[in-house]
Amino acid sequence: MTASPVISVRGLHKSYGDFQAVRGIDFEVRPGEVFGLLGPNGAGKTTTVEILEGLRVRTSGDVAVLGFDPSLQTQRLKDRIGVSLQHTNLPDKITVMEALELFAAFYSRSVEPKQLLQRLQLWEKRNAQYSTLSGGQKQRLALALALINDPQLLFLDEPTTGLDPQVRLEIHSLIEELRSQKCTILMTTHYIEEAERLCDRVAIIDEGKIIAMGTPREIQAQTLGHSRIEIQCAAPIPDNPPAATGSETFRYSDDRRSLSVTSTHAAKTLVELVKWIDAQGLELEDIRLNRPTLEDVFIELTGKSLRE
Amino acid sequence: MRPYLAHIKINLKLTLRDRMILFFNYAFPLVFFFIFAQAFDAKQGGAITQVISMVLIIGVLGTGFFGAGIRSVQEREQNILRRFKVAPITASPILTASVVVGWAAYLPSVILFLVLANVVYKMPIPAQPLSLLAFISIGVIAFRSVGLVIASVVNSMQESQIVTQLLYLPMLFLSGATFPITILPDWLQVVAQFLPATHLFTGLQAILIRGETLGQNLSAVGALLLTTAVALFIGNKLFRWEKDEKLPASAKLWLLVVFVPFILLGTWEAKSRDSIAKSKQLSREMARGRTTLIKDARIVIGDGDVIPSGSVLIRNGKIEQVFSSAPPKSVEDIANVVEGAGKTIIPGLIDAHVHLGNPGGIVQDWAKYDAAKSMRHALIAYLYSGVTAVRSVGDSLDSILAMRKESASGERSESELLVCGPLFTTEGGHGTEYFAGVPEKYREQILKQFVRTPKTPDEARAQVRELKTAGVDAIKAVLDAGQASFLFNRMDASILRAIVAESHAQNLPVTVHTGDSKDIADAVAAGADGIEHGSDRDRIPDLLLSEMAKKGVAYDPTLAVVEAWNDYVAGKTDLLDRPMVQQVGPVDLIASTKKFIDSPDAIKLRERLGKYNVSVAIGMENLQRAHRAGVNLVAGTDSGNMLLFHGPALHRELQLWVQAGVPAEAALRAATSQAARALHAEGRIGSLAKGHDATLLLLDGNPLQDITVTERISGLYYKGERIGRSGLFGDEKK
Repeated sequence: MTASPVISVRGLHKSYGDFQAVRGIDFEVRPGEVFGLLGPNGAGKTTTVEILEGLRVRTSGDVAVLGFDPSLQTQRLKDRIGVSLQHTNLPDKITVMEALELFAAFYSRSVEPKQLLQRLQLWEKRNAQYSTLSGGQKQRLALALALINDPQLLFLDEPTTGLDPQVRLEIHSLIEELRSQKCTILMTTHYIEEAERLCDRVAIIDEGKIIAMGTPREIQAQTLGHSRIEIQCAAPIPDNPPAATGSETFRYSDDRRSLSVTSTHAAKTLVELVKWIDAQGLELEDIRLNRPTLEDVFIELTGKSLRE
Repeated sequence: MRPYLAHIKINLKLTLRDRMILFFNYAFPLVFFFIFAQAFDAKQGGAITQVISMVLIIGVLGTGFFGAGIRSVQEREQNILRRFKVAPITASPILTASVVVGWAAYLPSVILFLVLANVVYKMPIPAQPLSLLAFISIGVIAFRSVGLVIASVVNSMQESQIVTQLLYLPMLFLSGATFPITILPDWLQVVAQFLPATHLFTGLQAILIRGETLGQNLSAVGALLLTTAVALFIGNKLFRWEKDEKLPASAKLWLLVVFVPFILLGTWEAKSRDSIAKSKQLSREMARGRTTLIKDARIVIGDGDVIPSGSVLIRNGKIEQVFSSAPPKSVEDIANVVEGAGKTIIPGLIDAHVHLGNPGGIVQDWAKYDAAKSMRHALIAYLYSGVTAVRSVGDSLDSILAMRKESASGERSESELLVCGPLFTTEGGHGTEYFAGVPEKYREQILKQFVRTPKTPDEARAQVRELKTAGVDAIKAVLDAGQASFLFNRMDASILRAIVAESHAQNLPVTVHTGDSKDIADAVAAGADGIEHGSDRDRIPDLLLSEMAKKGVAYDPTLAVVEAWNDYVAGKTDLLDRPMVQQVGPVDLIASTKKFIDSPDAIKLRERLGKYNVSVAIGMENLQRAHRAGVNLVAGTDSGNMLLFHGPALHRELQLWVQAGVPAEAALRAATSQAARALHAEGRIGSLAKGHDATLLLLDGNPLQDITVTERISGLYYKGERIGRSGLFGDEKK
């Protein structure tokens, strides 16, 4: 990565009186990547994001967002970013179009509301009042408002919290679309699958500290968690499997047609096992590799569950 | 600028979509409009200005406290403001839009109510429409700002309800918006002066009733603007986007800072009482605007005409019409109808000769005597007695002019005062003897208040001009050499001529105090307009009477003072036992006077005074002959002298006239239209002519048959206001 980071955070601290909400955080967000802050409620995600958005003043540390110091160049920063906050509302009787026009007036540049609404599938709803919108439509409107100024950086704070699964998928595909357009996004979430699916890189935060960071794959790899290889054959499998690299335990099903192997080096183990089955002249029906989830990682790292 | 316009635009649209706002701005005040109009008889005029002010204030309070304040808290509680927080804007466009849109949404209601008042209740179109709109606009903006600052200092909806009600309710009930402030106890009226709504109400009333401008209500305008500025500044500083951001409870003290202009104004008013006085005046002016029809009464017009059974229509404080037959039904519909059958309407009586600063008796403790208080009491006593205008013919100049201003203000119900300046006399002349005992140090100063003693005609002219500038209504001169052991220097004829000439040049009538017929002859020769006392010592020659008749010289015999003087010398106090004297009192003055007359000091004094000989019989004889000679008679009493209490004395005077052989009708004319002419006030008072002040008495009986009926006052109207006589003296204490 040669391009300078969009966000750079070094040694960030934030205290409220005696309570330390953020206790020394370092990370960078690079242009065009979707970066996720994952952690349980109260971990310090929202505080961190709000410091970056210029809404809160940090206690100490170095922060640069789009080259601005958020607590000093707040208005200039706000003009260039898009933000979708949790728990916000608009007046009941404002229409979709009016909301966009209102917010467009706040920024030094803005995109054509019509295109934006079409892109977010809200054009048909442009004259509908806010109170008549469904949860998904409200969230799409929130995204539209966050994009009205053609932001160089988008903050999404828990974009799908409280939405039903159907709507959540809708929002996910919208974010994926933005991701494909190389939009730089910093999002917070406490949904594992959301982070796994949407984020290029993730930082796991707990009690104000980053406890793991990297691509979802890298984080999984950093952990002691074991992958599990499931093999299914047409005929019973012989009970003398090879001591494949990394393999640890072997378990057969009652009819001996399926075998479950745990491994610390799943890829190597898998290749050696497939060779062995082939050598035995068995017909392979199915093979699956189950990696440890971020949830597993989180539990392993913190000893507690992500979901409250 | 763009965020401001965008916020204003969207706010306006949302406001028009919000039924609650339309309800509070229009439907709610509309209901009050009709309820108040009914309750205050707005159909009869006058009160409609109060009704409209009430409704407008209720609207302003509503839009400020609920439209701006509560709404702004709601937006914070509903996380709407939070959404704006991430945009590159400050609180200022949000606050500005709330104020501007609140104003824009409110203003049409002002027009609506003005139109309704005009169409339904015939309220005249305001004389200063721009000042009215500007003033109400300033009010709306100030109250919107106050609402916003409340939103900024409270932490929750619950707190905002409490703070809002704490401010809203007193302003609703004490400002005049729900009932007239003048019915509140005095201390509450003072408290009300600390409330912005009170100043808004008073200013609005003044603009509507008096046609005042913004400039005449500068203190209210200034305080409202200052409050707006402070409120917006603090509101902006303490603005919070999120409900989770809490302020300490002490932040509510900022509200006090917002109200500092009104705390200062209230403190000032508590001392000066200007605004309290103004609200009393305004409510009086409003009461004067009520339409009244007195039906089927005998009407003594005052100029000699009598309508045996007719009606008088009073409107906007003036006599609108006198009907000699039944008035049209349409008139009865818009008027407060008073049945007058068996009663007589006469114009308010006029006493052309009073000394307001003298109480008419002996005060217990002169050291505690408060001349201003005594004058106030006298003017109220006059009104109580149906004597609705008096001419002071010798009082301390500065205090009598101040009193005239006070009584004209309408703050209290009291009679109209006209003023002669200091007496023109001569060194050692009558009028100077009262001050012989005053210590040298003060004498000059006091003499200047009471007398002028010009040594040359030029000096006399200069002094007349000086008094004209001071604002007197007439000039009084003294031509009296006295008698027996009471001898005075008498003014030189050339000086009197100079006084008369200069007074006429200044359009001031001159009336001359005389002792005997020679004085009368000289005064008439000098061109005097009126003669006070005439002669109670000798017979006025027929020739002189006919000359007076020819020249139209007014003759004011003041028989009451001659009777009182003789009673006093004789130690009689019957005059103090007359019912009307007992009613006007004060009781302790009557008691101390009676006590004094029986004291050993008084006996000696009375013996000495007895040498000054004046005769009721001679005075009556001269009066009766003057009447027959066609002399222009005017009634006066010299009230303030011993045993002559202000008010009742004029009724006694009229009774003496009738005893002297003057017909009751002529006596009444002398106390009404002819007195008015002598006072140069015949265009306004003294007869029941269309366009005159609606100042009149409703008498229980027929004074033309029995002159004592003038004391039986069953109704009293002063400039259109119905006066509750029994409550008059209550006003005095305030």
